[in-house]
Amino acid sequence: MNFFRGVMGGQPAGPQPSGADTIQKLCDRVASSTLLEDRRDAVRALKSLSKKYRMEVGTQAMDHLIHILQTDRSDSEILGYALDTLYNIICSDEEEEPDKDKIKVLIVSLYIHVFWSDLSVYLCLLTALLKSQCAQVQGIILVSPMGVSRLMDLLADSREVIRNDGLLLLQQLTKGNAAIQKIVAFENAFERLLDIITEEGTSDGGIVVEDCLLLLLNLLKNNSSNQNFFKEGSYIQRMKPWFEVGDDNSGWSAQKVTNLHLMLQLVRVMVSPVNSPGATASCQKSMFQCGLLQQLCTILMATGVPADILTETINTVSEVIRGSQVNQDYFASVNAPSNPPRPAIVVLLMSMVNERQPFVLRCAVLYCFQCFLYKNQKGQGEIVATLLPSTIDANSISAGQLLCGGLFSADSLSNWCAAVALGHALQDNLTQKEQLLRVQLATSLGKPPVSLLQQCTNILSQGSKVQTRVGLLMLLCTWMSNCPIAVTHFLHNQENVPFLTAQISENLGEDERLVQGLCALLLGICIYYNDNSLENYTKEKLKQLIEKRIGKENFVEKLGFITKHELYSRAAQKPQPAFSTPEHMLFDHEFTKLVKELEGFITKAVHKSSEEDKKEEEVKKTLEQHDSIVTQYKELIREQDSQINELKEQVSLLSSQKDQMQSAITQQLSQIQQHKDQYNILKLKLGKDSGQSDGGQQVNGLQLEELTLLREELEELRRQHTLLNTQLTDKDKLISSLVSTATYSPAQSVKY
Amino acid sequence: MAYAYLFKYIIIGDTGVGKSCLLLQFTDKRFQPVHDLTIGVEFGARMITIDGKQIKLQIWDTAGQESFRSITRSYYRGAAGALLVYDITRRDTFNHLTTWLEDARQHSNSNMVIMLIGNKSDLESRREVKKEEGEAFAREHGLIFMETSAKTASNVEEAFINTAKEIYEKIQEGVFDINNEANGIKIGPQHAATNSSLAGGQGGQQAGGGCC
Repeated sequence: MNFFRGVMGGQPAGPQPSGADTIQKLCDRVASSTLLEDRRDAVRALKSLSKKYRMEVGTQAMDHLIHILQTDRSDSEILGYALDTLYNIICSDEEEEPDKDKIKVLIVSLYIHVFWSDLSVYLCLLTALLKSQCAQVQGIILVSPMGVSRLMDLLADSREVIRNDGLLLLQQLTKGNAAIQKIVAFENAFERLLDIITEEGTSDGGIVVEDCLLLLLNLLKNNSSNQNFFKEGSYIQRMKPWFEVGDDNSGWSAQKVTNLHLMLQLVRVMVSPVNSPGATASCQKSMFQCGLLQQLCTILMATGVPADILTETINTVSEVIRGSQVNQDYFASVNAPSNPPRPAIVVLLMSMVNERQPFVLRCAVLYCFQCFLYKNQKGQGEIVATLLPSTIDANSISAGQLLCGGLFSADSLSNWCAAVALGHALQDNLTQKEQLLRVQLATSLGKPPVSLLQQCTNILSQGSKVQTRVGLLMLLCTWMSNCPIAVTHFLHNQENVPFLTAQISENLGEDERLVQGLCALLLGICIYYNDNSLENYTKEKLKQLIEKRIGKENFVEKLGFITKHELYSRAAQKPQPAFSTPEHMLFDHEFTKLVKELEGFITKAVHKSSEEDKKEEEVKKTLEQHDSIVTQYKELIREQDSQINELKEQVSLLSSQKDQMQSAITQQLSQIQQHKDQYNILKLKLGKDSGQSDGGQQVNGLQLEELTLLREELEELRRQHTLLNTQLTDKDKLISSLVSTATYSPAQSVKY
Repeated sequence: MAYAYLFKYIIIGDTGVGKSCLLLQFTDKRFQPVHDLTIGVEFGARMITIDGKQIKLQIWDTAGQESFRSITRSYYRGAAGALLVYDITRRDTFNHLTTWLEDARQHSNSNMVIMLIGNKSDLESRREVKKEEGEAFAREHGLIFMETSAKTASNVEEAFINTAKEIYEKIQEGVFDINNEANGIKIGPQHAATNSSLAGGQGGQQAGGGCC
């Protein structure tokens, strides 16, 4: 279309030649001229026309230009013109698509001339090509042997211009292509880029630093393999010095703000909640170990940091500590350098409930607080403790005080943030849900204190802004889910259930639908987590109430208003609270999970008849009984198992003892035999001697003495032998008895 | 962690011979029985000790499928070691070794150490390639050879470590130019720059010479 318009529309009525005609003539000349000068002039003319008649030059002259690149490579002048012309043609934002083969030829021919002509122009040309034909060019470069590797060498080029052009090219090349990203990383991109960033003065460096950071982001975003490589290569440690911004934060150039912003984003990419938990955890660990987290916290508490950077730093700290106990503990210990020193958490919460702070900053603080409490029972306990009567310290501002202040302030945004924040202190933590029931508030002079729960419902019924009521209802739902005691407390106030039923049953306008849905959810929670301890508000009675006053179908429909809300799914996507405007601040991510979990249960619970309920209760009970029986038997088996093991050990000990004894006996037996032999020999000798002469009497007398000695010894050995024999039979008996018990026991356990 | 040397490895071979499993067994000490096709390449790393020196291995596990061949070729040049893997229960994977070797020799630097690995040695009953054949092939082409089982972890450590030993020896002999990172070898930061985390405030001077 564009082409036709260009050709037809541009046709003047007079004898003047049209653009297309001129271009055709020039093309002919490029193709047919034998003299280099003529071709050169023609290409130069084409170049001058290529901006105005981009389409025409593109369609008519492309082939000729590529031909020139191949045949006239020895003349740098004509090459320059041809490349410039091609650049002008390709640098188009029109959607017209040059076909893949042409691009291929173009790239190859361009590549051949890299060393001949202006490398810088070549790089710009390729970058431009990538911008307009990204996927196709990426595919071509990827399959060309060493294509990516060669381009990587650009980063090591000693000419700064080439290096910088190379950076821009790689930025385009790595966009959205994981395979290329990995090869670039393999070719030591991290090392090179971090070196360049350091050489250029990190955040104080110019746009080159920005380009390096953008390329790093391309390489790491959503690429777990590269993230792993980055972490294993100890590159996280090398990011730490980036955040050593001095204390005099006077001069923050726009470039520095941009650079730091990207640096913070890079940290976030590594610990993003969407990464696999294991990968994020190990990155969080090394960020603490190398002091990166500490450095970020210093920026957090420094003065004069631009709000933009401060906000992003808060978001970054949030994700570095999220779900990591060590990092969360460290964060809890950070103090602001004020006098007296205040915990960083308190200082941040002050901003959250301060109307004059920028909206994005308040969101960031809320996110930080949520991340601090995420999977952090200890932290949750500490926050709730600041509200409990026994631990309140009247002299200093505490997190709890700030949250309560925010909950009941006149600013609906503060109400919402405080409610959500407090909800996170209760998330999955039954102990804190019960603890928070103890909190009493002094309202006005002379009046008795009111419980926090009561105060929340009071404000709810006063009909404040939607945002406030949504926040409070989410807090109540989080508080009472999975906590029958809280449900009982809530039901104990006679006004609460009528208020909820009235809200749900009324036919209210569009704005009120979400509140109605949340009221239905809360009433549902009162049924689902009801332990039937209040006679007027048992599960059964509440269900009858719904049927009478609201109608089951109506109730379920109202409940569905929550998930059908347009902002619900957006909040469900990721943990960070990101709202385009303050009015959109309605859903909390964790709360969306709770809704998802409970909606089905509540719908079922409401629809179920009382008989089914009873039946289920019975089934539950029998199941529990079965479970307890099984565990009893399991324990028994475990016990017997350990007994068997003990016995086995004993058996092996005894049998080894027996072996020892036996060998001792055989030894002694052989000794005895030896003695016997000796004795016999001596006896024989004695007989001979006595028959031979009398002169040997003395000798014989001696032998006799020896003989008696030997006899005694023999006697002694015999005694020992019998003793050992009896011992041996004893042991044998013991062993056989143990073996029989051992074989008996397993048989016993099989029976169960 | 400080290391004396860093070696880059690649693992190559037909699809399904157990390349990813070898890597997983080496880095995580576990076995995954389900075959999950590798897309392009995946990265893994581990520290080993040779001759009392800490050596960091960075390993790129490549996809065996033909369609990824052009991508995986980009990894040959920068690697110091390669594990060329076949499956002892599938003769065809052994028959393809020549092609793999040609490819590797063509695209890698000439000093790259190649270890031939016959994997799945636990499946003796289904063996199709004799150990002697593997040995003969290795001898003929100047490779080191080993049979491994990623499932039982038999010889897995040895395969990676022996390759590293060979590279280490080549370094000692001066065969490798260790200052050229394109060879897949890097000298570690040694003992420098480890105590900088203690210096809180001014990060001005931090050069060498602190402890000595």
